[in-house]
Amino acid sequence: MKRINLAATAVESREQRLGTIIGWDGNADSLAEESGYARKCTGRKGKACELCEVRGPFTQGSVCSEQMVECQAGNVRDAVLIQHSPIGCAVSQTIYNSIYRNGLAMRNLPVENLKIVSTNLLEQDMVFGGIEKLKQTLDDVIERYNPKAIFIGTSCSTGIIGDDIDSVAAEYTEQHRLPVVPLHCEGFRSKHWSTGFDSTQHGILRDIVRKNPKKQEDLVNVINLWGSDVFTPMLKELNLRVNYVIDMATVEDLAQMSEAAATVGFCNTLSSYLAQGLEQNFGVPELKAPQPYGIAGTDAWLRGLAKLTHREEPAERYIKKEHARIKPLIAALKLKLKGKKGYVATGSAYSHGLIAVMRELGIEVNGSLVFHHDPIYDSEDPAQDSLAFLVDNYGDVENFSVSNRQQHQFYALLKRVNPDFILIRHNGLAPLASRLGIPAAPLGDEHIAVGYDGIVNLGNAILEILQRRKFHEDLSKHVKLPYTKWWLEQTDPYIVARNPQLIYQD
Amino acid sequence: MSLLEDTKTNSISRPRYGCAIGATHTAAAIPGVIPITHCGPGCADKQYVSLAFYNGFQGGGYSGGAVPPSANISENEVVFGGDNRLRELIQASTKIMAADLFVVLTGCIPDIVGDDIPSVVSEFQQKGVPIVYAETGGFHGNNLVGHETVVRAIIDQFIGDYSGNKIKNTVNVWTEVPYQNTYWRGDLGEIKRILKGIGLKVNILFGHDSKGVTEWLDIPKAAFNLVISPWVGLGIAEHLQNKYNQPYLHIPAIPIGALETSEFLRKVSKFAGLNSKSTEEFIAKEEESYYKYVEDFSDFYSEYWWGVPARFAVVSDSIYSLSITKFLVKQLGLISVKQIITENTPEEYKEQIREEFRHIDHDVNLEVEFLEDGYLIEEALRTAAEKPAIIFGTTWDRDIAKELKGNIVEIGFPSSYEVVLSRSYVGYKGALSLIEKIFTVAISASA
Repeated sequence: MKRINLAATAVESREQRLGTIIGWDGNADSLAEESGYARKCTGRKGKACELCEVRGPFTQGSVCSEQMVECQAGNVRDAVLIQHSPIGCAVSQTIYNSIYRNGLAMRNLPVENLKIVSTNLLEQDMVFGGIEKLKQTLDDVIERYNPKAIFIGTSCSTGIIGDDIDSVAAEYTEQHRLPVVPLHCEGFRSKHWSTGFDSTQHGILRDIVRKNPKKQEDLVNVINLWGSDVFTPMLKELNLRVNYVIDMATVEDLAQMSEAAATVGFCNTLSSYLAQGLEQNFGVPELKAPQPYGIAGTDAWLRGLAKLTHREEPAERYIKKEHARIKPLIAALKLKLKGKKGYVATGSAYSHGLIAVMRELGIEVNGSLVFHHDPIYDSEDPAQDSLAFLVDNYGDVENFSVSNRQQHQFYALLKRVNPDFILIRHNGLAPLASRLGIPAAPLGDEHIAVGYDGIVNLGNAILEILQRRKFHEDLSKHVKLPYTKWWLEQTDPYIVARNPQLIYQD
Repeated sequence: MSLLEDTKTNSISRPRYGCAIGATHTAAAIPGVIPITHCGPGCADKQYVSLAFYNGFQGGGYSGGAVPPSANISENEVVFGGDNRLRELIQASTKIMAADLFVVLTGCIPDIVGDDIPSVVSEFQQKGVPIVYAETGGFHGNNLVGHETVVRAIIDQFIGDYSGNKIKNTVNVWTEVPYQNTYWRGDLGEIKRILKGIGLKVNILFGHDSKGVTEWLDIPKAAFNLVISPWVGLGIAEHLQNKYNQPYLHIPAIPIGALETSEFLRKVSKFAGLNSKSTEEFIAKEEESYYKYVEDFSDFYSEYWWGVPARFAVVSDSIYSLSITKFLVKQLGLISVKQIITENTPEEYKEQIREEFRHIDHDVNLEVEFLEDGYLIEEALRTAAEKPAIIFGTTWDRDIAKELKGNIVEIGFPSSYEVVLSRSYVGYKGALSLIEKIFTVAISASA
């Protein structure tokens, strides 16, 4: 039986499939050891090893799966996403619209508002159900936008009241001859929001990807977000074409994924499910290689892709050419970045890549916070063990913490390592760093560090933000933090999680 | 009712408000107050990144952003109830967070499964923890509704009864909704400045000019309440009238520009029984300065070669819509071609708002449309009898402004392409900033 099972409409959560954790404290080497790959872990296959998760009574607001559906399914250019929810779930159309618009601009595509519509459920719908409103919104969407596909995302409320969106989706698919795709993404169902990526990808695999593909031997699926177009020039060297998915793709781009020669990504966290889904159900091989960061990672990534697509020769030429070109650039940056200490607070696999690039640039990295940790990815292939690759090639990271955007923990984590700057991606942590006098580089363009040029790009981005320390240091002298004196004195960020009884002591 | 109002369905795209739990920002806007959200893992973040970040990049301040403790409710609490989870979270919050007051806000999940929030919170209230709760599940309504719910919760559960004396010349001000109204920080600052100018002691209650919880505890002592908004805050003022025997003055529009602002101050002064001579002295001083700047501006306004936009549309919640339209029509002499009010105005207030627009000036009467769905709003602008050369709206209206070859000035939620710190568009000083903004946008796009 296939591990990625497309029979059910709801995706299995990350924690069920991969053993995902959202709280952990230690060093990178131990986390890699304890995770599910074959590195030392008794060769256990399938479900990951049970990691010891540190979770306590105190939590600050996190992020939910539905948000990831919103920012993926809601950013497909000729599709519409329906949020079957009260209006509050729809408020974040604001952020994803802004990101979508800037992403389109960066990719030279026509800038426009995203197309997401809420069913706007009210109190009486919680009692009597919201199915009629869902049908009304489906009718509205079909009449107004004539979309190529419609996604329906669920919400906590509709999950609890038990609205049967699957039947409605099937009915409309039949009636209107277009894919109407149910996406089950209630926030409470998974402890980590990355399940929302999987939910979107599951729906696309089920209902949109073409079932009778006509192979395009030079097409490569690149699973990414809104980043600038760095893959086209790279893949061009191998005579390969890029099919960017899911954000800003068209429904046709999604449908033709089954015709590609291979699937790659920039971050295993994001691409794990879709890439394996394509491999197991449509025979499109997933590239099982380190992520394309730093020289070692990029070399291995290119060689892996070249092997999959039978383009070893141009790949070797390209690698050689790039090594020569990039070497002096890196050397120059190393001089400027000498003695600097950085910290990475991003999504899981992305952090593994960024740390590699920073170490390539001679930057000291002795700490990182990741929002979650997947002990294994869907391929279960050791070649994709990005954390082990980091540790084996670039050394251990002394303070490696899993903390699901818990700002109170971030305070003590930063005190531990006292970095000159941090790299971040999701919102919520940099504001605290700023108040402590530490500048952050927000990597809005997630491709900034990819490939050979990524090493140079990231180095330059870091040089730019280091100067901003002046602003943050000045600010830090004039702010009061919202934490008690007791909490600010703690050196162990996980002390309350480890000793919950502390919250009852005066 | 307009034709488009007739075609409304339940669908809403491109929303221009959050849900009731968006009122975490009402709590966080009071210095020293920390919200605790008892909801799913994404609810607080959705409201924050939208209302406070991609809306003028206002920032979370002391207790907004990623700061508020949240239950991040999981399947377990859905099935077995979340009372214990909330109890533990509050206990931990008192240990870790430094707050003068905690406000617990609920999301859809506990409101559906029926968690007993009052009894959990009252356990802490009895122990002397400063804490209140508000039921703000998203299906109850939007963040304007949630705003009133939170304010009432603080009044009833924290401030409590009061039967002492009132302090003369002291006023509580109820106006813009923090964060929803993108310019609230600067606007409240200007409103406080001009009210102080005529001799009032002002409890502004939210933002950097508020003293926080101590100011809130003084609410019952104020001589009167001042509601400056078409309807938001009226419920609060009525509640305070009943609870503390406090009268209130209701002025539907925030004054913008000297004409409106001076008239506003005279009204307030009369209601409060202030010395009219010193009120007039303040007005005269303000007007002198205001009109010097307006005189400077008049060179541009009278003879800028390439013309400036005349026809405008406003797409906004009623508070900004009414205030800005009055200023543009009465003081700048611009022509309104479309007025769309977007905040899901309660039925009982709609007629009063229509009347305000029908009498916007002695020679101008306007009809407004009440629309919430982005698709219908765009249709209304597209089919307007005359094209607006400038749209006062939100980020959602950038596409239609481009299509109609007009300019866009983002004045409301969401304003994702404005960076707003202390800027204000109201009163004497704010009017000058608004003029600068309008005509900078218009001429910088011209060549």
